[in-house]
Amino acid sequence: MDVATLFDDVKRMNKRQFLYQVLSFGMIVSSALMIWKGLMVVTGSESPIVVVLSGSMEPAFHRGDLLFLTNYPEEPVRVGEIVVFKVDGRDIPIVHRVLKLHEKKNGTVKFLTKGDNNSVDDRGLYAPGQLWLTKSDVVGRARGFLPYVGMVTILMNEYPKFKYAVLACLGLYVLVHRE
Amino acid sequence: MAPKEKDSKEKEEKVVKINKWDGSAVKNAIDDAVRDVSLIVNQCLRKKYNYVENFALMDGRLTICGIAVAVAMFALLWDYLYPFPQSRPVLIFCVASYFVMMGILTLYTNYKEKGIFAVCIQKDSSKKEIIWEASSFLAKYDDKYNLTLVLVDGKTKQRRETSSKKSVANFIDVNGSVVPEQVEAEVSRLHNSLLNERKTK
Repeated sequence: MDVATLFDDVKRMNKRQFLYQVLSFGMIVSSALMIWKGLMVVTGSESPIVVVLSGSMEPAFHRGDLLFLTNYPEEPVRVGEIVVFKVDGRDIPIVHRVLKLHEKKNGTVKFLTKGDNNSVDDRGLYAPGQLWLTKSDVVGRARGFLPYVGMVTILMNEYPKFKYAVLACLGLYVLVHRE
Repeated sequence: MAPKEKDSKEKEEKVVKINKWDGSAVKNAIDDAVRDVSLIVNQCLRKKYNYVENFALMDGRLTICGIAVAVAMFALLWDYLYPFPQSRPVLIFCVASYFVMMGILTLYTNYKEKGIFAVCIQKDSSKKEIIWEASSFLAKYDDKYNLTLVLVDGKTKQRRETSSKKSVANFIDVNGSVVPEQVEAEVSRLHNSLLNERKTK
């Protein structure tokens, strides 16, 4: 199908059909968005699904694994659990295991993490001067994983042009095609 | 009638060539043709009989979609302004109402629209209103095009319907383009049979 016939469809539409086309495109986007926000509400984590970007947790997790997280405040953090946490000054959350943990009577905790495949703990990764993580740094705790699925995300992150090309093609297809 | 002539000329220029053993290509061509048929039925009701098209049905669907998208955009904005743990109650409300709207939309398209693609209103001099509804469906892997015309009396709410089940081959020529005259003839036949039925009663 060449470009001229592709746009023919659009030209034949009237005002209402065009509006519906735009709205149905909006609904595809909003459905994805609402499913994501729904997962956020159910799991209590601000990012319920993450992709493992480095090999620092091998052999438990490899690059490209998809992790499912939960973050219920009533569940305590324990040594040996795998947590996903954010550090000030870094955009990308880190997936590492809890190594040491101190719990106070009033319920506050501070803990130290380390990647299974790293030879030293994470103090060098934390913000300058930060020695411990607290509950507010935690994005979630790993509850399950799906291998290799996240490779697509890694590819898209490493080649942004590829990502924009895929997005543009999808967007154009949905906007131009009727029903 | 000028725009119609131009339309048919355009169609003559474009000869649709498909491999008839390629199932999906045939299906797409037929779907396109059916869409053209719908358009022509629509035009026929409006231009030939001078009926006024009523968009209430389509507007209803647009409203439902619009509300759903607005709710989603509101959730996005709220979550941006008040990051996650704070925005939880609002998010729960938005997610729930979004999926309810999706349910309503499905019910609306399946039980209210039911494939109706044209609604026209005929106004008599004696202030009597007659509503015409045209709907169609084409089953998968079938060449029988079902066209239904419904007449609803505006006052008594009586409805009568008539339908035709004909192969799409009746409306499409060898080149794969729709023949408006054939469609018009079919619509007129249904239209007149409904009107005659009314007179004999």
